[in-house]
Amino acid sequence: MRLTTSCAAAAVLAALAPTAQAEELNALIWCDHADPALLEPFEKAHGVKVNTKEYEGTAAGLTILEQSRPGDWDVMVIDAVDVHRAVERGLLAPLPAAEMATADYFPQVVMAANNSVDGVTYAVTEKFGYNTIAFNKAAVDPEDMKSLKTLFSGKYDGRIAVYDYYLPVEGIVGLSQGIATRDLDAAALERIKAPLFALKAASKQVSDVVASQTALATGEVDVLVGGGEWLTAVLHAENPDLDWTIPAEGGLLWAQSIAVLKDSKKPELALEFVKYITSPEGQARLATSSCYWGMPANRKAGAQLDADQKAVLRWDEQDDYLARAQLYPVPDAATDAAMQDLWTEMLQN
Amino acid sequence: MRVLSWAYLVALFAFILLPVVVLVVFSFQDGRLPVPPFRGATLKWYAEILSDRDLMAALGNSLLVALGSSTVALLLGFMAASGLARVALPGTLAMRALLIAPMTVSYLIIALGLLQMFNAAGVGPSLLTTGIGHVVINLPLCFSILYAAMGEHQKNAMRAARDLGAGEWQVLALVSAPMLAPALAAAFFLSVTFSWDEFIIAFLLTRFDVTLPVEIWSMLRSGLSPKTNAIGSLVFLVSVAITVTLEFTLFRKARK
Amino acid sequence: MGIEAIEKRQGAALVLPALLWTVAFFVLPFAAMVWISLGHLDGREMVPGPDLGNYLRIFTEPALSRGIWVSLQITLIVTVISVALAWPLAWIIATRVPPRWRRLALLLAVLPFWTSYVVRSYSWALVLGQKGVVMTALVGLGLLDAPVQIMATRAATVIGFVHFFVMLLTLTIYSNLVQLSPNYARAAEDLGASRFQVIRLVILPLTLPGVMTGAFLTFVLCIGDYITPQILGGNNELTLPQLIMLQLGRRGDYPMASALSVVLMALVTLAYAACARWLKMERV
Repeated sequence: MRLTTSCAAAAVLAALAPTAQAEELNALIWCDHADPALLEPFEKAHGVKVNTKEYEGTAAGLTILEQSRPGDWDVMVIDAVDVHRAVERGLLAPLPAAEMATADYFPQVVMAANNSVDGVTYAVTEKFGYNTIAFNKAAVDPEDMKSLKTLFSGKYDGRIAVYDYYLPVEGIVGLSQGIATRDLDAAALERIKAPLFALKAASKQVSDVVASQTALATGEVDVLVGGGEWLTAVLHAENPDLDWTIPAEGGLLWAQSIAVLKDSKKPELALEFVKYITSPEGQARLATSSCYWGMPANRKAGAQLDADQKAVLRWDEQDDYLARAQLYPVPDAATDAAMQDLWTEMLQN
Repeated sequence: MRVLSWAYLVALFAFILLPVVVLVVFSFQDGRLPVPPFRGATLKWYAEILSDRDLMAALGNSLLVALGSSTVALLLGFMAASGLARVALPGTLAMRALLIAPMTVSYLIIALGLLQMFNAAGVGPSLLTTGIGHVVINLPLCFSILYAAMGEHQKNAMRAARDLGAGEWQVLALVSAPMLAPALAAAFFLSVTFSWDEFIIAFLLTRFDVTLPVEIWSMLRSGLSPKTNAIGSLVFLVSVAITVTLEFTLFRKARK
Repeated sequence: MGIEAIEKRQGAALVLPALLWTVAFFVLPFAAMVWISLGHLDGREMVPGPDLGNYLRIFTEPALSRGIWVSLQITLIVTVISVALAWPLAWIIATRVPPRWRRLALLLAVLPFWTSYVVRSYSWALVLGQKGVVMTALVGLGLLDAPVQIMATRAATVIGFVHFFVMLLTLTIYSNLVQLSPNYARAAEDLGASRFQVIRLVILPLTLPGVMTGAFLTFVLCIGDYITPQILGGNNELTLPQLIMLQLGRRGDYPMASALSVVLMALVTLAYAACARWLKMERV
């Protein structure tokens, strides 16, 4: 009798298992890659299905990979500054550097030092932008936004939202204290603790992308620390007053890379996907993805974007911005844990 | 007192219905922001969700998981209730306590435990693992509803059927189940409702194929738009329609 | 073999699958979680225990220990307010509403159950915002000079929770009320009790088991919920489930997430012990 039961249970549960598809590519990604407008042209061209899974934060992404069986994943999107961490764990496959479109890139975002180890390329940059100050220019004095000091002046208390991601925001607070992102170590964390807590006290909420967008778009808050084009661009049509700037102290440059997993069972298809994403067409679609916008790493994508899109992305001002922005902090495991602890403490305070 | 009662009733109904009304109204918002002022009506957001393949796949997945896991939970719960109701077994109390225990535990704890066990066993997250988790939360529910419904009358009928030579499965299928039909239907319906709307287990135990609440959660995290209102309203209106239909057909008959 | 022995064997065989399922997918994972909570994370490596390091941290690091208090406070506030609001509602529906409208009234009172639970919290976020319906209406009617900050505070979390649990409790208390024989109330009135006294001294105590069962369910569901505080609380304070999800989502620290879950489980067990004598879990 138990046998019958287990058979019945097994049959029902087997029906729940995902049905087999043609060929599938499994991608561990950020939300901008889940846009059908980006994926469908590739799927049609190769007759495959791209499965996507979003993750937040490199540590969580690496945990997902470590807990999966070898071969579960084919490609992944990763913070450019964290490519080394994945390579050290032996997770990434080398890429044929000669076949990559990096010659067409904005030179500042090729980031060869980050994307390769010992001369071997493991990832290529695909998209970049800035974590800085976004604001509603109808509600604040744009002059005030030219310095991070404003955040601590009391003038905008209760009208500030903070983007809920510890790396860029702790980096920005570091900049406000004159600490370069590469110098953000345990000792520096002590120095940013007080200003970080002061920022929390001055703000109304610490929120994810959508809650931040909602707050900014509905006038709940007027300033968003950690925001940038990636957050305001999709709202541009709704509220053209939403703006962003890189203050005098600087801002943070975010750059995401794409890589093929070493254990992928479909390395050719995975490589094709990387080539598609870094091609001018793929780059233009990725730049204007429904989840968030960002500058394409490949300059040739400019030909695929219209003037309005370029204006929203500040295409012509990139040289100045790139010169003033700093890379994300690259903490070691202990510092990373300390940064997260500081963040949790800030939230809970 | 009378006036006060009605005033209270109206006030509480307003509180209870407010978010639903707002949700539905702003699903027609002509613009990207689902907050006042209302800028005019459009069906654009409904068109978008109906053509969103991920969302529609999630809808199907939710249905599959809800029906599958509820069937298993109902079957297991029915058998266990029949077994425990018919004879006093040694440790009956302990068994009942064990079967009901998952009801007193937060879903998050069940989800985290299963996630780590499946990880250790090398089982990847999928709709199947989510379904297993949903059986865990629904089994106590089905069991307790059916166990409570099995009175003396029931036991006597089962005993009589057996005395007349009916086999064990015949007793369960032909005597017990029809007598318990209302309770079985209620348990199944409740299980489907719980599974359909469950978030945290599905969130931690799925990967590519996700259920509707998980898909809505990622929609919420990837861009503000009345699409979220539209899918919320659609699910709401369809569920209410189903409930009302059941209310007027199945349960009305069952209640007599 | 005697008839009774056969019956026992068959009864046991019927219970067995459900028991096995519960052991395999509930007891075992929970045991595994307790074991994992006794290890710790070193860099990115999981070091098995047993050591009590995580628990020590939970009770000494303010960011973590405060999570316990935040969770407890919110849950208790929500439970008390929900019971206080739901009891009169259930009573009015059961006694004041004409019988033919009763089922409709009850259906209306729980209608939002059928919205998706994630969407419900999100909807409250839109309702409670500065530009939301409530503030717009209050300011428009001249009842407020300027919008009051509710969204992204503890108040918003509490409102979101209370909304859900008022519905749940109205159901449990209502089903308890309609089972009461009207004779009790009549007897009390015959003995000269005022209507208010009847409610306070007779009906209220008789509904206590239903109320306590509902309150316990509220406690369990509220203290373990991630969505509502995450969407409505604005990250201005963190509850236990939010802390657990932070450990999982950002850091991949399974041992710490497990330890926090064990603490959460302990709180629920304490609550169960506190109201065990009124609970009839089978009758939920």
